Amino acid sequence: METSKALPPITRIIKYTLIDEVRHKSFVVMFVICAICVFLIRGCYQGNYMVNGHYLDAGTVVRALSKVTFHIIGAGVMVIAALLSMRIFRRDRNEGMQSCVLSKPIARWQYVMGKIIGLWVLSVLFMFILHSIVFLITSINLKVFMPEYLVASLLCSINLLFVVIAVLLLSLLMPDIIAFLCVLGVGIVGFVADGIAAASHSQMAQVMMPPSGASPQSDLTWWKVVYYLWPKLLGAQQMASSLIEGESFHGFGPTYPLINVLLYCLILGALLFKRFRNEDIV
Amino acid sequence: MIELKNVTKRYDSLTAVDNVSFSVKTGEYFALLGPNGAGKTTIVKMLLDFTRPTSGSLSLNGILSTHAECRTSIGYLAENHHIPSYLSGWQYLLRCAELLDINRSDAMDQCRRIVELIGMQGREYAKVGTYSKGMIQRFGLGAALMGDPKLLILDEPTAGLDPIGIREIRQLLESLKGQGMTMFLNSHLLSEVEKICDTAAIINRGTLLVKDAIPAIVKDGDTLEDMFVRLVKG
Repeated sequence: METSKALPPITRIIKYTLIDEVRHKSFVVMFVICAICVFLIRGCYQGNYMVNGHYLDAGTVVRALSKVTFHIIGAGVMVIAALLSMRIFRRDRNEGMQSCVLSKPIARWQYVMGKIIGLWVLSVLFMFILHSIVFLITSINLKVFMPEYLVASLLCSINLLFVVIAVLLLSLLMPDIIAFLCVLGVGIVGFVADGIAAASHSQMAQVMMPPSGASPQSDLTWWKVVYYLWPKLLGAQQMASSLIEGESFHGFGPTYPLINVLLYCLILGALLFKRFRNEDIV
Repeated sequence: MIELKNVTKRYDSLTAVDNVSFSVKTGEYFALLGPNGAGKTTIVKMLLDFTRPTSGSLSLNGILSTHAECRTSIGYLAENHHIPSYLSGWQYLLRCAELLDINRSDAMDQCRRIVELIGMQGREYAKVGTYSKGMIQRFGLGAALMGDPKLLILDEPTAGLDPIGIREIRQLLESLKGQGMTMFLNSHLLSEVEKICDTAAIINRGTLLVKDAIPAIVKDGDTLEDMFVRLVKG
């Protein structure tokens, strides 16, 4: 199919996905609550923080807190993206839109592509607006200008693509709520594993742990392989957030988490298209 | 226009459609008849590529049903048609027009014409959630007529309608007859079929029993219903 002919149906399905999601009251309520929560934390920026008897300067506080907020928003929107994605196929089926669209000269891959991009764009906008609120608070109220915060937000959107594709795929194979919980589980396990790995590499952990005889670097166990191959959602987020403080990211190779998540998106995307191609439309 | 060649569809151990072959010519008003569970809806779904045949092939306008292009110029009305409750009938028709790549001004004209045709003037801007089943069915038929399709595939268009609704839909379908459209009507309302269609096929337990012009199927003063019962009961 020519690109010029393939694109219009996809853009229309993206448009309908966006309109249909935003139309729901639950989405609006969720967005307003999130925005209020982000506004409420602005008070934290104006406190006086003391570390080891020294007062921290406002710039350091703002950057450190912004980074924490960045991660909270990133993780929160991933959960919201999963919630938005989990019922999309079932709802379209029940409301007759799936059969309406697919009875037109529109291929299944165009429909799925439209759904993926629509949900992804919506989640990215959701996250970007929340991050922009933090950016505006720090820029206007605190005079700390961090354009890299918004770049980091866009970089982090790769995680949302992973969540959308994974939930859509799993929702074709199992009940919606189980699909949501599975992806949530993947995220939590990854976050916890990355947290443990980061803690074990900290100076304090190195001091506390006695050195073993064998070289631990060469000791490649199965769980290490699993750990390295596991979707690096936190890794991608950390990589993005490293832009905020201009620090170097050294958890893995600098771009490994992004490549890892991107590869998962491609693999799961291919499986999603294949699965939907064989799906019976009711 | 429509061609089925040795089409078989199996769901695990159940054979829903068993080696069915027939064709429907351009301009024909064709009815696929059969009792509940005969495999009629499965054939419609295979025509629209909603489900794939286990073996055999289906083609529309000479293009295999697995290609999206074959659905150009096709209108489809599903059994128990659904429309998102938050849309109005008008918005739904516009959405269908957009999906068919009809430009905005043409789409508005077509929507106006279709609303008039289905007799829904004055209710087109109300939310679908406030519509009765018959009204939803009419808008479904309206959506199927969007873009002046050459082939209309209707799966139980009068399912769940009251006698007045059935009559109105029948009159609407009869009024379309002179427009050179091909119709594939899937129904078990034999009296309606007899009034609307030229040819019919009777299917039972996935097997094609007969396919011919209705006058050729109905013989010796019998009605289509008598013939249908005789064929289905064996």
